Amino acid sequence: MTSSRERVRLALEHKEPDCVPLDLGATAVTGMHIDTVYRLRQELDLDPPGTPVKIIEPFQMLGEIKPDLIQALAIDTVQVGGTGTAFGFPMEGWKEWKTFGGVPALVPAGFNTQTEPNGDLLLYPQGDRSAPPSGHMPAGGYYFDVIVRQQPFEEKDLRVEDNLEEFSVLSDAETDHFRRCAEEFYTHTDKALVLNLGALSLGNIARVPGPALKCPRGIRDVEEWYVSLSSRRDLVYKIFEGQTKINLENVQKLYAAVGNRISVVNLTGTDFGAQNGPLVSPQTYRNLFLPFHKQVNDWVHRNTTWKTFIHSCGSVWYLVEDFIAAGFDVLNPVQCSAAHMNPYDLKSKFGDRITFWGGGVDTQATLPFGSPQEVREEVRERIRAFGPGGGFVFNAVHNIQALVPAENVLAMYRTAHEFGRYPLRVASAA
Amino acid sequence: MAQFEELQQAIIDGKAPVAKELTDKMLAEGIRPGEFFPKAIIPAMDEVGRRMRECEFFIPEVLIAARAARASSDILRPLLVGADAMTAAGTVVCGTVKGDLHDIGKNIVAMMLESAGFKIVDLGVDVTAEKIVNAVREHQANLVALSALLTTTMVNMKGVVEALSAAGLRTQVKIMVGGAPVTDAWAHSIGADGYGKDAPAAVELARQLVAA
Repeated sequence: MTSSRERVRLALEHKEPDCVPLDLGATAVTGMHIDTVYRLRQELDLDPPGTPVKIIEPFQMLGEIKPDLIQALAIDTVQVGGTGTAFGFPMEGWKEWKTFGGVPALVPAGFNTQTEPNGDLLLYPQGDRSAPPSGHMPAGGYYFDVIVRQQPFEEKDLRVEDNLEEFSVLSDAETDHFRRCAEEFYTHTDKALVLNLGALSLGNIARVPGPALKCPRGIRDVEEWYVSLSSRRDLVYKIFEGQTKINLENVQKLYAAVGNRISVVNLTGTDFGAQNGPLVSPQTYRNLFLPFHKQVNDWVHRNTTWKTFIHSCGSVWYLVEDFIAAGFDVLNPVQCSAAHMNPYDLKSKFGDRITFWGGGVDTQATLPFGSPQEVREEVRERIRAFGPGGGFVFNAVHNIQALVPAENVLAMYRTAHEFGRYPLRVASAA
Repeated sequence: MAQFEELQQAIIDGKAPVAKELTDKMLAEGIRPGEFFPKAIIPAMDEVGRRMRECEFFIPEVLIAARAARASSDILRPLLVGADAMTAAGTVVCGTVKGDLHDIGKNIVAMMLESAGFKIVDLGVDVTAEKIVNAVREHQANLVALSALLTTTMVNMKGVVEALSAAGLRTQVKIMVGGAPVTDAWAHSIGADGYGKDAPAAVELARQLVAA
């Protein structure tokens, strides 16, 4: 029988393995909200009621995908991630907590919240409650949003270094953590390892406000940042140049630690697409982002066997050619509900040059609001579109959100597992 | 006329200092404040909307143009009194619904509506149905524009529609909705009057709804 790692390798080489590989939780954009993880684990009888789920990403509130869940859903991938969080506190010293949805959780020691009089929750950079809060979850909410703490600035005082404050070369201890993780998963599982380092993204709007910093300087306001992509192009170019220098050093350090045990590296989570079209012009991507993406992709391809992964939500049809030119091997999350993102068109135009990782079922409508039967039908349709010839790793479009019924998640993975066997039954709905 | 065209171009090109300077200069030359909106600001932002729809303009270009429009309209608004008073195209209460903190899409829609001559009452993010009802009453609004980014919060749009009905205001206001997970079918299912798929579509829809 083909191992999970081999299945993913074949798919990434645009060959048909025994079946379409399945991902859940290999990245922070292919995971599941903690409330849904809890309900799914209960549904599958993996835990006694009341057993807490660990939060592995406190910004999007993703829950831990443990080996028993990976086993139960026949998942082929596993995440190799760092010890940090978007809010700058480490993933250690676990303590009990409860989500607004009533789900028992384990959160890191630095996950220090303050409840506002209206019931809203505030979260603090590096867990320091004496600093201005950088995260905000509305009462009854499911996710944190970053609080913008833009300091007033004069144009002449803007400095490249201020927008680079949160980026640094990995410590030896952190690199060693990656080495141990990779060794453990490579030796004790047959899964394909996916390497994640959130700080690699250039201009990720979720990170631009500097949620890990106690007093962020530079351009930290979301609107100001988008304006800067056009009106302060040279400054942004220099910020990306500085960050890429650090990124290259980190990728080299990581390779020295984990070697070719890794199948895929997640290099960027910056969104370039909105629902109806790109957020930025293809020209802006080509001039401002592509040169730096290419530098890192080129290094990876020259020195490792890793495949490189780009995540961008939204309508990116007009950018995919440039993503390929930048050297990316894998595109995620393939948001088919956005404009110009028809799965058959994507497959026929780009399918022999880039692997689609995601796109398996819509997360904005079908998964939260559809019936299990509608989920099954959509999954089969997407496998028919993306599956032929390999070049497809199955996952929902982005993280599976809160309030998604467990039966829909099960319908999704079970259908993908049953219907994703090669040779695919492409012609009929079966 | 050439001056109005020049101002239009400055707004489309996103040159806020030029737009401001031209506005001051034209006012000093005796052009009536009431002429700027119909002859420069509204047509300029209509052109920005067209370019956005045609994928010639993207978020940065639209934001920069909206800032230039604002540089001009900020000078003009205090002057639009007496004989120069301009009848607003409509009064819009807008906000991102309860539980949702995302506002860049809502802000772009508000800026485009404002540049199209609507009076905007922006309630911000995480807005309760009650707050919207109160604002509609207080400002005698005839339009409500609701935004949501999340599948977990878009359901709160339905609560706003119901609250406006319960308050007896539903015949007074038209309700338009938008945001990434929102669709035409969703708008219809919750009893809203329309769905704007992007900012230019929202402006077009607002014009249709107030004319209906």
